[in-house]
Amino acid sequence: MSLFSADGLFKHFGGLVAVDRVSFAVEPGEIHALIGPNGAGKTTLINLISGLLPLDAGRLVLDGADLTGLPPYQRVRRGLSRCFQVTSVFGADSVFDNLMLAVQARAGSSFRCLRRRAAEGSLRESALALAQKFGLDAALDRAAAILPHGDQRKLDVALALATRPKLLLLDEPLAGMGPEDSAQMVALLHRLRTETAILLVEHDMDAVFQLADRISVLDYGRVLASGDVASIRDHPEVQAVYLGTEASG
Amino acid sequence: MKRAPGWLARSLPWLLLLSLALFPLLAPSLDLDYYVGFIRHLLIVMMAATSLNFILGYGGMVALGHSGFVGVGAYTVVALVDGGVTSAWGAWLAAVAVAGAFAAVIGAVSLRTRGVYFLMITLAFSQMLHHLAVSLSAYGGDDGYSLHAPLLLGVGLDDAHPHVLYWVVLALAALLFTFSCRLAVSRFGYALRGIRDNETRMAALGYPIYRIKLAAFIGAGAVAGLAGALLASHNKFVSPSVMHWTESATLLVMVVIGGLGRRWGGPAGVALWLTLAEVLKLYTEYWRWPMGLLLVLIVFLAPKGVVSLFEGPRRAG
Repeated sequence: MSLFSADGLFKHFGGLVAVDRVSFAVEPGEIHALIGPNGAGKTTLINLISGLLPLDAGRLVLDGADLTGLPPYQRVRRGLSRCFQVTSVFGADSVFDNLMLAVQARAGSSFRCLRRRAAEGSLRESALALAQKFGLDAALDRAAAILPHGDQRKLDVALALATRPKLLLLDEPLAGMGPEDSAQMVALLHRLRTETAILLVEHDMDAVFQLADRISVLDYGRVLASGDVASIRDHPEVQAVYLGTEASG
Repeated sequence: MKRAPGWLARSLPWLLLLSLALFPLLAPSLDLDYYVGFIRHLLIVMMAATSLNFILGYGGMVALGHSGFVGVGAYTVVALVDGGVTSAWGAWLAAVAVAGAFAAVIGAVSLRTRGVYFLMITLAFSQMLHHLAVSLSAYGGDDGYSLHAPLLLGVGLDDAHPHVLYWVVLALAALLFTFSCRLAVSRFGYALRGIRDNETRMAALGYPIYRIKLAAFIGAGAVAGLAGALLASHNKFVSPSVMHWTESATLLVMVVIGGLGRRWGGPAGVALWLTLAEVLKLYTEYWRWPMGLLLVLIVFLAPKGVVSLFEGPRRAG
């Protein structure tokens, strides 16, 4: 059985159909890439799956649990996590406090109000372990807003991973990164696949072909094609709408 | 850069508490008797301001109806006294509960909106409460209600004794302030500030945004209710003007000039505002003019609140 299945997802904004009966599945341990031209509906799809936008129709199932209609925080509790296309961290806070906040979300109640959080050793340890995994341990005391772009993207992914998801939604994790940062992020995502399945929206085709087990192509809100890397690379229709010169060049 | 504050900064709050506790005993010899009541009033308003600072400064909820809960607390005491209740603790506790219940209902509706809509809707609710109080003819309507019988505090003490009430208020204010400081660095405090700074991300991290905000709103409303109850004991009189919307606005301005989202913001803002008003009233009946000018000056000199002037440089990033 698939780890995650989306079935007939539909969303329109007024007369514009943004996501048109999209169905796909993600298998356990898989990196499933979602590609398509700008405006194809990729980010809308991510917002529908994570619950930040309400679905007009369709069904979402993760690991046997029906997510359709659940508010975002309950989807997170059932194992869904995401990061954002535009880096979304707590800019004024230190990297450490960012990680603490993410770890805290997963570890018990956030309604505790008498105990100092700084005294909770297990939270600190989880936050530090996360920093180490993402190579952020040298920047713990720095405010997130003044980190270099590449480190902010890493922090964004680290926050998403702190909730220990079964399925991680990554919306263009490589956006705006230089080649060095990109290579680091790709290596990092490689390592993450042992912990969680990933739904990856990305424009960097080199990275997609390196990482993805399967690829779905989205165009005008519909799934144009879905398959393994080789079949997508050679798919004539996909080449026409999207890959174009990039694939042949 | 120092991480921990020095011994002076650490002991300052205790020295302040000690001198406040001794003040009623020293006041007669210094010919400052009048100011025992003044400080008592100040401490009560500080509680309301601190609770507002919690939802406004830490929670980012710009509520313009906080005096509504102060009024609910005060009128709960009126209703109970009118019904024959004589225990101060019972009446005050009931005020906390009733104000909390009002905050639960009002918050449950208001928190579905944001920003300026939230401000408008909280204002509307507090106006409704104000009009309700005006229409309560059993409790004097517009004229208000005088509390003649003292409320009993146990062990032979009552709230009519000015010094006893002063110490009770001081103890409650100190307790509440300590609690609010702890709350700010607890899981709940961090979660609330996270929601203020980046609500979308907090939702994506799995935080129940609405429930966290509502819990903060109810807590703040309950504390405002306590302030209202103490105000009733302090004045021995309650009228609908305690919950007029201008009272909410004044409270909001106090918190802003004190320091939004800073632990001493509420107390500092209240102390500054009420002291300025008191001093200016000595010189002129038209004290609002110079007061306004001074406020403009304060906002320009300390846009982050007067408390920010006493903070060391922020820890380097």
